Amino acid sequence: MSTDAAPSDPSSTSVASTGRLEQTNPDYDPNIVIETQNLTKIYRDFWGRQKVRALNALDLEVRKGEIFGLLGPNGSGKSTTIKLLLGLLFPTSGRAVVLGENATNVAKNERIGYLPEESYLYKFLNAEETLDFYGRLFDMPAKVRRERVQELIEQVGLGKAKRRQLKEYSKGMTRRIGLAQALINDPELILLDEPTSGLDPLGTREMKDMILKLRDEGKTIVMCSHLLADVQDVCDRVAILFQGDLKEMGRVDSLLKVSGETQIRAQNLPESAHAEIRKIIEQHGGTNVAVENPTTTLEELFLGIVRDSEARPGMRSAPADKSS
Amino acid sequence: MVREEFPHFLEWFGPGILLFLGVLVVGTILGLFVGYLVSAFRHGPFEAFYVVSQVLAEAVPDFFRTSPRRVMAMAGLAVKEAMRRRVVLVTFVIFALAILFGGWFMDNGSEKPEQIYINFVLWGTQMLVLLMGLLISAFSLPEDIKNKTIYTVVTKPVRSTEIVLGRILGFGFLGTVLLMLMGLISFFFIWRNLDHQHMIEGPTQTVAEFVNVDANTKKSTISGKRVSANAIAEAVTTENNGHSHRLEIFEDIRDAEAEPPKTDDIVETINGDDGKVTYHRARCMPVGGHTHQVTVSGTGSSATITLGPAIGYFRARQPIYCESLMFYDRTGAKSEKGTNIGKEWGRRGFVDGGSQGVRSTLSKAEFSFTNFEPSRFPKANFAPLEVNLGVYRSTKGNIEERVTGGLQFESVPENPDVDNRYISEVVEFETAEYTVQTLPVPKKLVGRIVAPDGSLVEEGEYDLFSDFAGSNGKLNLSLSCRDVNQYLGCARSDVYFRGKDQSFWWNFFKGYVGIWCQMMIIIAMGVALSTFLSTPLVMLGVIAIMIVGFNTSFIQNLAKVDAQGNLLNEYGGGPISSFVRILTQQNVMQDLETGVFNTLIEKADYLAINSMMLLTYLAPDFGQLNFSNYLVYGFAVDDQQMLIAVAVTLAFLLGLVLCGYFCLKTREIAK
Repeated sequence: MSTDAAPSDPSSTSVASTGRLEQTNPDYDPNIVIETQNLTKIYRDFWGRQKVRALNALDLEVRKGEIFGLLGPNGSGKSTTIKLLLGLLFPTSGRAVVLGENATNVAKNERIGYLPEESYLYKFLNAEETLDFYGRLFDMPAKVRRERVQELIEQVGLGKAKRRQLKEYSKGMTRRIGLAQALINDPELILLDEPTSGLDPLGTREMKDMILKLRDEGKTIVMCSHLLADVQDVCDRVAILFQGDLKEMGRVDSLLKVSGETQIRAQNLPESAHAEIRKIIEQHGGTNVAVENPTTTLEELFLGIVRDSEARPGMRSAPADKSS
Repeated sequence: MVREEFPHFLEWFGPGILLFLGVLVVGTILGLFVGYLVSAFRHGPFEAFYVVSQVLAEAVPDFFRTSPRRVMAMAGLAVKEAMRRRVVLVTFVIFALAILFGGWFMDNGSEKPEQIYINFVLWGTQMLVLLMGLLISAFSLPEDIKNKTIYTVVTKPVRSTEIVLGRILGFGFLGTVLLMLMGLISFFFIWRNLDHQHMIEGPTQTVAEFVNVDANTKKSTISGKRVSANAIAEAVTTENNGHSHRLEIFEDIRDAEAEPPKTDDIVETINGDDGKVTYHRARCMPVGGHTHQVTVSGTGSSATITLGPAIGYFRARQPIYCESLMFYDRTGAKSEKGTNIGKEWGRRGFVDGGSQGVRSTLSKAEFSFTNFEPSRFPKANFAPLEVNLGVYRSTKGNIEERVTGGLQFESVPENPDVDNRYISEVVEFETAEYTVQTLPVPKKLVGRIVAPDGSLVEEGEYDLFSDFAGSNGKLNLSLSCRDVNQYLGCARSDVYFRGKDQSFWWNFFKGYVGIWCQMMIIIAMGVALSTFLSTPLVMLGVIAIMIVGFNTSFIQNLAKVDAQGNLLNEYGGGPISSFVRILTQQNVMQDLETGVFNTLIEKADYLAINSMMLLTYLAPDFGQLNFSNYLVYGFAVDDQQMLIAVAVTLAFLLGLVLCGYFCLKTREIAK
């Protein structure tokens, strides 16, 4: 691949602010951000005996600009996949290519942001020092670094706590500073390991909004989670893993589509109309499953209450609000 | 202080760099081989080849893309992390406590109190700093891996070199600051504890306190010992810092035309009728290697005497050693090691004093000096020669007399076939064993000029520098034994001219450079080992290497073998055969019974001995990096040796960074 591609070219890998490295893989397809082939990871003991097969022959493709979810119960291989993609683990067999580079090549990290499951950060640093430190690791000049640090602190809403040591932070604040460090280099690809874990519903919503916003900015996001609702809310495509095997992969909407059923949603329909609708269904040979008022999700209810409380402090939420 | 090596940096550098490259190449090949084996075990032989070549292919760009900003970021983090662990603080507190209360246990009245103080601070600093270096380096990376904080670092474009180098530099910086602080405090500690003043014992601080010396016996009424030959009165000072001094008023008789002494110690000036002037001067007699400056104000018995601060504690003697030493036996034939006098014949070579039958002996030790120039000496009118000789008496002789030695100076012409030689008369001196004698060699020496054919050209008095050392600055000094049946022993370090002293504090700093070198190697070793070992194993490993490093010469001596592979220095064979002898209670002088068992033991010993030898090459020789003895004995640290120490340290740092890089790069961080 040409190394002097124009900045407007989407296949170009050069980013001025961080002085990133040039793409070296001639087979690099800029629309395929992550590609794994037969990726397998077997954990062994000291004597080389197999302990567990954490990932089995995973074939995966993540495309540019999408939110890709890795879904599965604990121990299904989600985190192992992320670690293999980051080069934190070496594959037993198969290969993983990230942004056109071998996953073990450090150079690829120039264009990657990573939020680990527990936001493993240095607790003795404050938010500014943390982001400044990670900015230095991207070889960012001091001026660029200062601006970027302030911008990110504001973006994740830690302006008032930026001088406090991370050991004093709550779980939510730690996740936020963790996300900020993952974004310090304005990455093309963001890998999020359980991004909503430990967050309250409000924090979860903010995190999901942030993920969607990043996608809208053209970034590719890979997240792994076992919280199905989160994945459903934000992911464009998902891969479902179980005991190291890929069980299902595709677009969320098409995977969730129940082809044998039809859903009708209407507002201000009187109770008498329900009987009529049932009758029509029977006339067409259909089986009536349910004609009733839908319920909202608990998340929606909770967020509604919080928003209402913020708007009218001290007042109990009006029951009418719940139906919205 | 015994010096056996006189290295020159430039001469050392060539073979040194070859050895370094050799170790590097062997280490790399060995590392690749082990890496291939491990990889082949995991992935199969073909895939392993690919993995190893990939690591190698990525290593080169990794080194070239090492970013100073990232290294500094890692270093800054290492500093903050180490400060948070409070190891540095605890080290400093221990040091401060030792300094605060250490003075209680020091004997200021001992013979050389400065040696005790310097030894104490240097040893204490060395141990504390090395321990601190070990602790902060051993905990850092394993803790980062355990806490998984390293995940957020290695997922950035950070090379393993930067992680390793950053940590070494960060901890090194912290250690350097601590070392500087400790050095500064030590300086004040030594200075404050040794600095003292005395008063004259008695109600007045005047000459009236002095009592006359018995002119016949010349014995002190204070100490009962002989006083100086020209002493006329004496007094004693108050006891301070565990000692008191004897003061003397002595006569300094000079010609009336001669320049008077340019000192403030003149008590009285008496103009004689014989054209001579007698100056009565006061002096403070040295105790424990130091004295005090005497200042006299007024004249006669009412003259007030004031003693200044201590002089002589803080020295950095600059010895000018010869370039080569050659012995000649009694027939005049060259001999590398001098006359063999039996068991004592070791470090020193011996010069034969001849026998009753053959009184004339040509046996001598010839010291060849180069760059013998007056600018290297403190005073232009003489060159102080310091000798520390061993005496071997084959007969008791006159027990009240010391063995006499002879010194003879000789020029070394560039072209001996054409140029004349200056040869001095033999200057005799009484030898003193077990101590360093100072023999001031006057600038003017009586001697002769000899033509290349051996004929006498001229006799007279010639200049040591301009005639003997001549234009080429070369001078030969021959030491002979003037007593029959006696032998004088000397090594290269036993006879030297004493040049201008170096500043003590500069020398003190150089002593700390040695500790700094040791600290940096320990830190680098701790960081390199922590890339693949857990904290306890790192500490164990580094301590093991330290033990080998501090005892390199001992281990090398133990493992020294002859051409046939037999141990040279120890009886009873190698470690395993010695152990077998202990178990079976066999005599160390007897060979073990021949047989399969013995052969097995011998082979195992051979392996063990060679492993020990290999260890001494891999572990740094801390003795080479330790300049404490120079400071303790008041010698200037050899600049050449210091340069070598710094080069050795850099070589170890480079090697350990490489080792750390490959270990970290090939390690699965998240496993």
